[in-house]
Amino acid sequence: MSNKIVIVILAIIVLTYFLFVLLPIVAVFLRIEPSQVNAQLHNTVILEAIKLSLFTSGVATLIALVLAVPTAYFMATRNFHGKTIIDTLIDLPIVLPPAVAGVALLYAFAPKGLLGPILNRLGLIIPGSTIAVIIAETFVASPFLLRSAKTGFENMDRDVINSAKMLTGSRLRVFVTVTLPLSVRAIISGAMMTWARALGEFGATLMFAGSLAGITQTMPLAIYLLLYSDPLAGVMLSIILIVIAFSVLIIVKLIEQKRYGAKK
Amino acid sequence: MIKINEVTKSFAEKKVIQNLSLEVKNQEILSLLGPNGCGKTTLLNILSGLTQQDNGNIYIDDVLVSGKTGTKKVHFKPSERKVGYVFQTVSLFPHMRIEDNIAYGLKAQRLSKQEVKKRTTELLDFVGLREFARFYPSQLSGGQKQRTALARSLATEPQVLLLDEPVSAVDPQLRESFRLELKNYLQTLKITVLYVTHNLSEAFIMSDRIAVMGNGHIEQIGNRTEIFDKPSSKHVAQFLGVNAFKGTAVKASSGVLEVEVNGVRLLACSTLNLAGKAVTITIKPEDIMLSTSKSPKTSFIGGVGNYIEGTLTEMVQMRSTAQVTVDVGFLLKARLALSLIRELGVNVGDKVYACFNADALNVFAEGGD
Repeated sequence: MSNKIVIVILAIIVLTYFLFVLLPIVAVFLRIEPSQVNAQLHNTVILEAIKLSLFTSGVATLIALVLAVPTAYFMATRNFHGKTIIDTLIDLPIVLPPAVAGVALLYAFAPKGLLGPILNRLGLIIPGSTIAVIIAETFVASPFLLRSAKTGFENMDRDVINSAKMLTGSRLRVFVTVTLPLSVRAIISGAMMTWARALGEFGATLMFAGSLAGITQTMPLAIYLLLYSDPLAGVMLSIILIVIAFSVLIIVKLIEQKRYGAKK
Repeated sequence: MIKINEVTKSFAEKKVIQNLSLEVKNQEILSLLGPNGCGKTTLLNILSGLTQQDNGNIYIDDVLVSGKTGTKKVHFKPSERKVGYVFQTVSLFPHMRIEDNIAYGLKAQRLSKQEVKKRTTELLDFVGLREFARFYPSQLSGGQKQRTALARSLATEPQVLLLDEPVSAVDPQLRESFRLELKNYLQTLKITVLYVTHNLSEAFIMSDRIAVMGNGHIEQIGNRTEIFDKPSSKHVAQFLGVNAFKGTAVKASSGVLEVEVNGVRLLACSTLNLAGKAVTITIKPEDIMLSTSKSPKTSFIGGVGNYIEGTLTEMVQMRSTAQVTVDVGFLLKARLALSLIRELGVNVGDKVYACFNADALNVFAEGGD
């Protein structure tokens, strides 16, 4: 087979795949007229869903930062028996079907779940609350941050860290002034991916938190319901999520490309 | 002053350092020379405190910084040892400007801003990088980065400086000039330096004494002449690029030892009575001459020497010299000026005589490899 034929076949395959990814996205954008956008942006259901989604995904990302970054550092810098098993368990929510994640969260946090008795005593009923949405989003999305931060810590030049250790006896100082700044790009990328994933969370939230307008009805849940009652509003929300996802990916790529002192 | 006393270190049951003892005198520059993987960097890491040895004691300026005194275990943190360390991989903080890299250790000592600024400027001047103070490491050349690393390691005023192949990160065409620059810095500093390298000429240029390391221990320690002229083992000789052969001492009389190597008789100057013993013989490639006849132009010192007939089997030409291999019953490597090769008119496959003085041969009893 000549080189030209190989290139033509490859070009056809690439084009087909590109169209396959692009077509559904274009289809969504074509369902709404530019003149209808402004009216939809004043739709109460849309605004409530956006507000709730931004709040829950923001809190979920913050929780992930607090819990996943130190865990990532620990996993990247320590060796212990059973590390591979722990590592795999932490990653599990990434590949777990969302419905399974919802069921698992119910059996953990519902009144009759594992932590049910404790939560009942504290007067907390998690399922059906905004807290349930945050828990579902954190559970499903935080491994993205953990993975990215762990890779960042692991790929760090050990000699750079050792150089800092030669000059200061404070581990905290080394972590704050060298380790953290050098892995900050990986952490930001991971946080962005976590936020985007939390924003788009559907299955686990529906199973665990339900779909109550203003309380648990996030953007993806609202899209699901609006497509039957108010399709245009559903399309508008879909477009917003597509734009957010695209922006996040672009920002992550730009962060990864940036080099210190590349331009002066 | 550094004193290493019977230090041992294993990684996953592989012994990397074995009962190693070494002393670096006050303000001495000692090169630790050895092939890759012989444990040089591990030894530096142990000295710096980044790695803890399994056994043995480390003293810096007579203070036990790691090891055991009686039943008490001592292990100073790296920052408590007054040791500066320049790593092979440069390892500057890429997110900090050059001035901040140098000031890092000073800020950690909580010195006043003015003091940090003053000492950083002094160090920038010392390594000639004042105009690059606001640059990031990625904007500097390999040599400038290493100068920054040197300045950073000196900021905390260490008593001992550890340098791990500092020249290897510099662009190949600039290494020669960087070596000389570095030597000037080290001579100005007047502190104890342990300089790790696998490059022979670098060790000779940089240091007062050389310790040759192999298989996790020090094989030989001495000055350039001692090491190069009298390698203590076959392993050291081979690492130095010196010819080394096993043979048998046949006869000793009047300070001349007759040695047989692969059926070839050699005469060596030696006062040792090694007759009848298995020996190792070494000779530097520079001490061997070639001749096309049995009457060389140069006469032997003291009238005792060797002419051995052989075949020229290999010739590798460098800028002004050539390394030739002559098969005389064993392979003998010689380094000669290209002009001499041209004058002799010899080529690969030609019959030649390898000629060398009896006192160019270094003979010692077998067991040193």
